[in-house]
Amino acid sequence: MAQRRAIGHAGWGRTIAAAIVAAIYFLPVLIIIMYAFQGRNDILSISARSLGDYLESIFSFTPTLSNFENVFFRANIIQAGEGAAQATETDFPLYFLNSVGIAGISVILALVIGTLAAYGFARFPLRGNDTYMFIILTTRMLPPIVVTIPIFIMFQVTGLAGEYPGIIALYTAFNLAFTVWMMKSFFEELSPDVEDAARMDGSSETRVFFKICLPQVKAGMAATAVFGLILTWNELFFALLLTSNETRTIPPAMVRTLGGEVGADYGLLAAIVTLFLVPVLVVTFVLQNQLLRGVTFGTIKK
Amino acid sequence: MKNFGRAIAQAANETAGTRSGLAGWGSVTDLRLRGLAKSFGRVTALRGVTLDIEAGEFFAILGPSASGKTTTLRCIAGIETPDEGRVIFDGRDVTDEPVQSRQMAMVFQTFALYPHLSIYDNLAYPLREAKVDPAEIARRVGEVAEMLRLTHTLQRKPSTASGGEQQRVAIGRALIRRPRLLLLDEPLTNLDAKLRHDTRAEFKRLHREIGATMLYVTPDQLEALSMGQRIGVLRDGRIVQVGTPAELYRAPGDDYVATMIGDPPMNMLQARLKVGGDSPVIELPFGEVSGGPWSRPLSAFSSGEPLWFGIRPHDLKPVSGDPIGPNFRAKVHLTEPLGDVTILDMEAGATALKIVLPEEEALAYPVGSEVHLQFDVRHTHVFAQQTGTAIR
Repeated sequence: MAQRRAIGHAGWGRTIAAAIVAAIYFLPVLIIIMYAFQGRNDILSISARSLGDYLESIFSFTPTLSNFENVFFRANIIQAGEGAAQATETDFPLYFLNSVGIAGISVILALVIGTLAAYGFARFPLRGNDTYMFIILTTRMLPPIVVTIPIFIMFQVTGLAGEYPGIIALYTAFNLAFTVWMMKSFFEELSPDVEDAARMDGSSETRVFFKICLPQVKAGMAATAVFGLILTWNELFFALLLTSNETRTIPPAMVRTLGGEVGADYGLLAAIVTLFLVPVLVVTFVLQNQLLRGVTFGTIKK
Repeated sequence: MKNFGRAIAQAANETAGTRSGLAGWGSVTDLRLRGLAKSFGRVTALRGVTLDIEAGEFFAILGPSASGKTTTLRCIAGIETPDEGRVIFDGRDVTDEPVQSRQMAMVFQTFALYPHLSIYDNLAYPLREAKVDPAEIARRVGEVAEMLRLTHTLQRKPSTASGGEQQRVAIGRALIRRPRLLLLDEPLTNLDAKLRHDTRAEFKRLHREIGATMLYVTPDQLEALSMGQRIGVLRDGRIVQVGTPAELYRAPGDDYVATMIGDPPMNMLQARLKVGGDSPVIELPFGEVSGGPWSRPLSAFSSGEPLWFGIRPHDLKPVSGDPIGPNFRAKVHLTEPLGDVTILDMEAGATALKIVLPEEEALAYPVGSEVHLQFDVRHTHVFAQQTGTAIR
C-alpha cells in the first residue's frame, strides 16, 4: 500500500502540469459558459483565424444576461424567431423538470433493481451466471442507432412512445446494465467471511444484505449513481426519438435552437447548456466525499 | 451478574476446564460429528469425519492446509451443509438447522469484522440481532471490552486498530453472546510471532475463565499441543487419530501423525523385518535392533516386511563412554542454532536424520565432524510402510 503523503507533497512543477491538463479539459466548458454571457453581435464577431486571435476575441465582450432571459421568456425555443417581439414564457421549465424527473427516477430505479440483482449475481450465482451478465450488456455494446428500429417498434406497439413511463423504462433498462456490472464488482470485493460472521451473529439473509453488505458498498452506489446520472442526463438520441412535446428533455430541446429561421442562436444554446450543467455539478459535488472514499477496507488482510 | 470481571476471576479459581460458575453463561455442551462428508464439485473436502467433543473441552483439530479443517468447522457452524453425516449438538441433531439458531460463535481466520461499524458496534452487533435491551448491551460491551483490553478502542473503526486489537475484537464479538460452543478457525495465522505467543496463553486463560466448549482448528502443531486438551489429527478429510498431546507425541498411531507432531519431526529410517530366532529383528541401514515395544506384535508379520523405524531427534544422544544401547556413527552435515538448543542435520551413510542438542554441547560437533550416536530401543517407533500404521 502506498504511503499517504501530505497535500502539496508532489511539488509546484507537477501541480502546475496537472493544472494545465485540467485546464485543457475544462476549456470547452469554459468557452460555452462565456458564450452564454455574450450578446449576438459579440458571438458573431468571434474570429478563429489563429489561437491567439480566438482567445482574444472570445474574452472581449460586454456581459449580458439576455440569453438567460431568452431561455425563459421568448415566443418558443422550438420556433425561435416567430413572434420574437412578444415576451411569452417558453417551455424550458417543463423540459428542465422532465430532464430532472426522467433522469432522476430512472437512475434511482436502476440503482435499486440493479443493486439487488448484482448482490444476487455476486452471492447466489445462477446456472449460467456469466451468460446472463453478458446478455445484460449486449444492448450497450452497439451504437444506439443499431437498436433504434426494434426499440421504436416495441414502443409503438406498447403505446409507450412519447409517454413518461416509456422513456423512464428505457433509461432504467440502459442504466441497469451498467449498474449491475458496477455493483456486482463492488459486492465481489467484500469478504464473504464478514457475511458468514453476521449469519452466525444471528442475522437473517435480509439483514445480512441491509445491515452488512449495503453499508459497505455505499461509496460504490454513489459512484454508480453519478455515472448513470451523467449518461442519462446527456442522452440525446432516444430522447429525440421517443419523447413528445410534453415529455421532451433538454438535449432534444437544445437541438431545436440550432435550426430556426434566423439561423443558429448560439447565445441561447450556450445559456441552456450553462443551466443544464448545474444539476449534475450539484449532485457530483454533494456526493464527492462518497466518490473519493473508494471501496477498499482495512480489516481484511489478503 | 453484577461484575463480569469479578465473576470471571471467581470462575478462574474454580477447577480448570470444566463447567464454570459464571452466571449467565449457558451450560456448556458436547458436540458429536458422525461421518461428515462434503465435496465441492470434483474436490472432496471431507470423507467421513467422526468426532466426539466433550462438554467444556478445549479440542484442537490439527491438519495441514487443504485437509478439511475449515470445511469441518463450517459444517458444524451451519455455513456449509454436509453432503452426508450428522452434526449432533447437545444431544440434538442440528444438521439441517440454519446458522442463526445454532447458538455457536466463530472467530474467523480473517477476523471478519464489520468494517463499516465502530468496534463498539462490532461487539454490540450480536446482542442487537438478539434484541437485547440497550442498557444491557452497553453493560456487556463494557465488560467484554475491559476483559479483552479494548476499552480505549471502542469508538474507532476496525481498520484503524492493530492486528492484535482486531483479533481481540473478533474474540469479543464471538464471546459476547455467551455461545455454548466457540469455533476458532486458525485465529493466530494473521498475527506476528510475538503476538501469536501471547495470544496462545490468552486463549487458555479465556477457556479456563469461561468454561465454554472450544473447538480450535490449526495447521500448527505447536498451537495444537500447547492449547488443546485433546487433539484430533485430520488428513485428507478423515480424522486419523484423537488423543491428548502426550498420547499423540508418545504413541502416534501412524507415520503421518508421527512426523506431524514434534519439532523437529521424527526421524524415519528405512527398515526391514527379519523373523527367526527368539524375537523379531529389525534391519536398519547401520545394523540390527531388537527388543523394542514393537517386538511382540511384529511376530505376526513375515520376514522382509518393509518398515519405517522412527526415532525422535531428542532420543538420539552422542555416546559418552560405553554405549548403553544400539549405536552408529553419523556425520554432521548442517547445524541450525536456535539459541538454547541446536539442531544438527546428520548423514549416516545414505540416511538423513536430525538430532537436537543443548547449545553448548553442540559446539563440540562442528559441520563435517563425526558423531557416535546411540538410542534407547524402548523409545523407538515402528510403522508398516504399506499402511503407515504403528506397530506396538
